[in-house]
Amino acid sequence: MSRRYDSRTTIFSPEGRLYQVEYALEAISHAGTALGILAKDGIVLAAERKVTSKLLEQDSSAEKLYILNDNMICAVAGMTADANILINFARQSAQGYLATYNEDIPCEMLVKRLCDLKQGYTQHGGLRPFGVSFIYAGYDSQREFQLYQSNPSGNYGGWKATSVGANNASAQSLLKQDYKENCDLTEACSIAVKILSKTMDSTTLSSEKIEFATLGRTPAGKIYHHLWTAPEITDLLRKHGLAKEKTEEK
Amino acid sequence: MDTLIAQYTEPVYDDEIYDGEDAQLTRISGPPTANLKFALPPIAQPSAFLRAVTDDHANPDCPIKIAHGTTTLAFRFKGGIIVATDSRATSGNWIASQTVKKVIEINDKMLGTMAGGAADCQFWLNYLGMECRLHELRHKRRISVAAASKVLSNIVYSYKGMGLSMGTMITGVTPQEGPALYYVDSDGTRHQGDLFCVGSGQTFAYGVLDAEYSYDLSTEDALALGTRSILAATHRDAYSGGYINLYHVKEDGWVKHGFTDTDGIFWKRKLETGEFSNVTVDL
Amino acid sequence: MKAEDDKTRILNDHCLMAYSGEAGDTGMLTRSFGRGKVQFAEFIQANVQLYGMRSNCTQALSPSSVSSFVRTELAKSLRSRKPYNLNLLIGGYDTVNDKPELYWLDFLAAKDKLPYAAHGYAQYYCLSILDKHHHPNIDLEQGLKILRMCIEELDRRMPMNFKGVNVKVITKTGIQDLEY
Repeated sequence: MSRRYDSRTTIFSPEGRLYQVEYALEAISHAGTALGILAKDGIVLAAERKVTSKLLEQDSSAEKLYILNDNMICAVAGMTADANILINFARQSAQGYLATYNEDIPCEMLVKRLCDLKQGYTQHGGLRPFGVSFIYAGYDSQREFQLYQSNPSGNYGGWKATSVGANNASAQSLLKQDYKENCDLTEACSIAVKILSKTMDSTTLSSEKIEFATLGRTPAGKIYHHLWTAPEITDLLRKHGLAKEKTEEK
Repeated sequence: MDTLIAQYTEPVYDDEIYDGEDAQLTRISGPPTANLKFALPPIAQPSAFLRAVTDDHANPDCPIKIAHGTTTLAFRFKGGIIVATDSRATSGNWIASQTVKKVIEINDKMLGTMAGGAADCQFWLNYLGMECRLHELRHKRRISVAAASKVLSNIVYSYKGMGLSMGTMITGVTPQEGPALYYVDSDGTRHQGDLFCVGSGQTFAYGVLDAEYSYDLSTEDALALGTRSILAATHRDAYSGGYINLYHVKEDGWVKHGFTDTDGIFWKRKLETGEFSNVTVDL
Repeated sequence: MKAEDDKTRILNDHCLMAYSGEAGDTGMLTRSFGRGKVQFAEFIQANVQLYGMRSNCTQALSPSSVSSFVRTELAKSLRSRKPYNLNLLIGGYDTVNDKPELYWLDFLAAKDKLPYAAHGYAQYYCLSILDKHHHPNIDLEQGLKILRMCIEELDRRMPMNFKGVNVKVITKTGIQDLEY
């Protein structure tokens, strides 16, 4: 039945569905989990990196967390290749705004601009939608720290804590359980790493398997974003007793 | 008798035909002559010639750049007259000097100020000094400021349109006139008044002066107001600056109140009174 | 004063733009091209209002952003076939940082943030007054007193006859027209 309607993104099925969009969502639900938690003094983003082969060069740079501009970062779930296009668009868009207004783009506006682009691919014929969901962590002076999520349909929303990708349903319910209103960034980091350890397939975590990034405020009041290095992630894992012990390695 | 006169008189114009550029050089030498006609340069149209070589607005490469930028002011008050000027001489965008004396001491009772062409002002105010002394010798009493300014305005009027450039204020205190202040410029304009500012920075000086001027100012306040008005102009007008030359003219003659660097005055004002709030510095 | 003589535009709740162009810029020549200073002012006004609508009236542009936006538009126009020729002053109240701000822009799209500013001949007559009497922490009443000094000086010394002024005040609460 769906055959007639799923080859084109512009056509609704008789049940009122856009199959291509749903397939895109399906593709994302197989991707590595990514989650974000909003704290009172910052935001943490964490993502699972799928190690597909031992032969694959373990590049130490982030591949699921990206910096969009001076006060926004995002986590990606889905097709990295598609994400690259959107991230490039977002970065250019943010710089364009900065050039025009001499002020960083308000977070929601950047999210909206990306979602407008994504939405376009659900309506204009002949093209497939972007197979990516994002979690955005941002700061602007009007609304301070903000966490957003968007998906291939072009829908977006603001969250206190959210997740995308594989096992996102269980991650989401764990977040609902563990999230504390008015928690600080360190607490948010521990919540994030604990949830990730539970939702990921692998039993042991290591800095190769996850990525971490935080957005916060320095004591001087300046907004910073930080993509964590491997030793920093290892430290966090060790603190929560989640690191692979040296003895096990041998 | 005629031969005697002829011996001491040179014709104003040589009747020989003016033959271009060499003629300029030959005519310049020779002693000045006393006769009833104006000595004119031996050029077909002196004013056009002068304009051609001095108008750097129309021709930035003109060979002669006349110094124009200035701020000068003078005002009458109950204690006499305050005269204040800056000291910058510019030639185009070039600051030719920062230590020009723009107050010209015509004699020990009268002052003139200098704006426009420096050479014109210096020459004609010096000439005016001579005329004033001659008046004293001839009439056995000092010339009034009204008469002195009129002498100057008559001279410049006779050269009208020939490229003279001067805007000057003639000041003095005489028993018959009291504190007297006249503005005379090279157009032939002559005005009596309480308060004048002349030069490219005049509007800035007017701004400060008009707001606080009063005839009943104390001498101290009047001197301060004169200084502050010139400072305002040196701050905003690129063609004014250097030092503030300040004079107080009284009935028994003028008194000089210093030739003070604007830099020191500016920072003292800024730090003590909080003025010039557009200048932001971390000290 | 007639309404069309008002050379200001309200951009949003806390932002006012005053503009002046060369005399005759609103005349026949420009009108036939359809690019007078009023057109530019209205273009800016419409765009700033559009920005407000797009953010669901929750986030108006700050005065600093408005001025940067205007500067970019003016700079774009400067290199176009028919540039706009106007000088601007943008006054606004930054509600986030709780500070009034003033921006000075000239027709070459130079922008500066200043404690006091003027365009045209008024600069020559008023800046020295403002240099002397303005202090960073003056209140509205003292500000109006200095304005009065400036207007009086213009009235006294301006070569052309001076037809009076429109005075508008921008405060935390918005923009008010002042009887003058």
